[in-house]
Amino acid sequence: MGYDDRLEEVVGVVALTSVTDESLIAAHLRGDPAAFRELVERYADGVLRYLTHMTASRDQAEDLFQETFKKVHEKAHTYRGPAFKSWLFTIATRAAIDHVRRRRRTAMLSLDQETDCGQESGSALVESISAEGATDPAEELVREERKQQVREAVASLPVKQRATLVLAYYQQLSYREVADVMGCSLGTVKTQMSRALATLACKLPDSLSVTK
Amino acid sequence: MNGHCTEQQLIDYAFELASQTRMHEIRAHLDSCEACRAKLDGLKSKFASLDLLREEMGASEALIAGAVAAATQSRRPAILRLWARPWLGAVAAVVAVGVALLVVSTFGPGRKASQPATVESFSQEDLSQRTLDVPAAAEPEKLVAADRSLRSNAAAPTAGWQPQAKLGGGVVAKSLAAPAPAELTLADAEIAEKPPFAPASAIELVVLPRRQNVQLTIYNGADLTLVREQRHLTLKKGWNWLQFMWADTLIDPTSLSLEPAEHRDQVEVQQLVFPPRLRELGRWLIRSEVEGQVPFELTYMTSGLSWRAFYMGTLSLDERSMRLEGYVRVDNNSGEDYEDAQTRLLVGEIHLLDEIGDLARRQYAYDDPRSEGVGGDLGLGDAVDAYREDEKVWAGNILSLLQGDSRSLEERKEIIKEGLSEYFLYTIEGTETIPNEWGKRLLSFETDDIPVTSLYKYDEERWGTEPIRFVSFANDIESAAGGLGETPLPDGDVRIYSRIDDAKHLAYVGGTETKYIPVGEKVELDLGPARLVKVEPVLMDVRTENHAFDGRGNVTGWDEVRSWKIEIANARTLPVEIEITRGFDTPQWELQLKGQTATYEKYDVTHARFKLTVGPRSKEMLTYTVTTYHGAREQVLIQREQNSRR
Repeated sequence: MGYDDRLEEVVGVVALTSVTDESLIAAHLRGDPAAFRELVERYADGVLRYLTHMTASRDQAEDLFQETFKKVHEKAHTYRGPAFKSWLFTIATRAAIDHVRRRRRTAMLSLDQETDCGQESGSALVESISAEGATDPAEELVREERKQQVREAVASLPVKQRATLVLAYYQQLSYREVADVMGCSLGTVKTQMSRALATLACKLPDSLSVTK
Repeated sequence: MNGHCTEQQLIDYAFELASQTRMHEIRAHLDSCEACRAKLDGLKSKFASLDLLREEMGASEALIAGAVAAATQSRRPAILRLWARPWLGAVAAVVAVGVALLVVSTFGPGRKASQPATVESFSQEDLSQRTLDVPAAAEPEKLVAADRSLRSNAAAPTAGWQPQAKLGGGVVAKSLAAPAPAELTLADAEIAEKPPFAPASAIELVVLPRRQNVQLTIYNGADLTLVREQRHLTLKKGWNWLQFMWADTLIDPTSLSLEPAEHRDQVEVQQLVFPPRLRELGRWLIRSEVEGQVPFELTYMTSGLSWRAFYMGTLSLDERSMRLEGYVRVDNNSGEDYEDAQTRLLVGEIHLLDEIGDLARRQYAYDDPRSEGVGGDLGLGDAVDAYREDEKVWAGNILSLLQGDSRSLEERKEIIKEGLSEYFLYTIEGTETIPNEWGKRLLSFETDDIPVTSLYKYDEERWGTEPIRFVSFANDIESAAGGLGETPLPDGDVRIYSRIDDAKHLAYVGGTETKYIPVGEKVELDLGPARLVKVEPVLMDVRTENHAFDGRGNVTGWDEVRSWKIEIANARTLPVEIEITRGFDTPQWELQLKGQTATYEKYDVTHARFKLTVGPRSKEMLTYTVTTYHGAREQVLIQREQNSRR
């Protein structure tokens, strides 16, 4: 008997992964904690990445991650469907926007301040790349620099443009879904997206290729 | 479309942001314009760099677990349990039937007239009271499960605890006893002999009911608090997993202990596992031969809870008596809320090998599992035992005496007396809710008419040229009608006020810190420099005499005679007693006091202490001459003293 078989025999695994979001919310409202856990697991990566892009800080993203799912837990009874993902990202977006506004009120950021996600640079970065055993450290270094440029370019966008871009591009929500999340019209979303891309066109590096 | 596409148009086209008409126009233009196609390719290449950020890390299991715990349990440490899903469905069904039966039996045709008339009038409190007043043997098991949330709001005692008062929600403590054995069922299925290696999935984690009650014993001297709480766990027959998280708290994971309060012969806590890669999380494996609710006692130690004593004394108009009020302030910075907690405070220092706060912040509960020693060679259960063995000076004793059952009740009392021989335990009456980051001040005692003595002291070597005011009283029964003399007083801050008129207006006299005051001991409070009493010593004369010489005419000894006049001025409206200490820098001295206003005693080998009373708004003069012997003359004084002893 294999390890997985033995575990299944012990606790009787139920495949919740095939259950719809709406069914999980309903089960959660009936008091099934496993359903809530499954919801968190299902969207954890997406929400965390989204919040990381929004805050440009892994630590702050993790805080907002908890805040988001706490709100989901508390406000589950207000969920009216049908797109749970949109509803979830609405909560995450509000949390992120609130966070950005709070930070703007309380902190003066240096113009050349590096984000938490991109603190590696210079020799430290080379060392870390070398330690990882990359085949071509120079290429990896350039790649990391480009990542940092992209990260800074995204972080430089106004918060609503950033949210629109991240939802539409990284989370691959349709513009209609983004409009639902942002609580605005489809036209507004397209305008925000268009402006965001125009800004990025000026700030993003030209090519991914590495010149040796 | 006229001319080439703008960058914005190309962006809108690439990301389908333009209207359908515009999209057609741009597409048509691109088909015929190589320059614009190249420009579009360049833009696409540029935006492809956005994909670099897709590689950011995903959410860890610890983060997910933390988010679930934070969401479901707010600031409480999460206790989660695993069970098989089909069984849950069955229980849910039976719960529904049980509740239905209860409603039918309660509100059915045969119901007595004294019972509530309608379902609408069936309040939560009514339900709690009625449910809990049902004799345990007759109480349907499923009702217990259904009513879990109502019960959880009311504090309940564990077996062997002594609740101080009626508990919250109007529920009498005794009626909150754990479910009787009859409520539990013995399933027919055999329990697998071999324990499971690990729970299959985090999906199986289930939130347990809130704690039923909690008791805190705060050891201030070591930043240590023993927490003992009771929770009713619903077990299935077989192997059960129970998960405990202590993230964001200062709980010491090495001290975790879980014991069934009932069915000890049928329920066994087998092991505590600290899963890899998951920090601040432990899982108990429980083997149960019964199904249903079983009360469990969970004990652990935490830091971050502290308490401190405060005293406020009010002197009477004549300053011969004092009203003393004692307070205790409990502060909670442990990261955990404690609701309706029975709170006990220990006075005295205890011995600990490790700081609990350090243990709580460890990455692994028993240090790195790859290292040797505790948690390595030993089993985890052994490690807990070893830890307790080390801590048995205090923590072990307390833990074991608190965990004991009814059969060892007599022994526990013995241990309490023995274990507390050097300490004293204060129990705060009733229960208190102490949320995290809150402090709470509670009245400890208040006593009127404690006899006090006001005394002024003057000692240049200790306090400089200002007299210091002291107030002293004794912690004995004779000193006070009640409140004092029964227990030691813990160390703390003291503030002394004085009544200045019959309208009970107060003036602040001074404040100080006091040390631990045992029963029967006298305490003297230093209230700081006195402003209305002055002491001015003046050296009136100094000379040497009785010189001794050796054979060559060198001086080998002499007497030094100093005459002092000390003026004591009392500007107060009350007479004051004052104690003046003078030092002479040599053990060989003789003193002659002039006048009858003062007395003196040899305080130590080099000091004399004068005592006198100065009337209200008056002055007294203290005059004395001191002769000190030096060199060969010291022998003269020593010889004289020996002769006088004979």
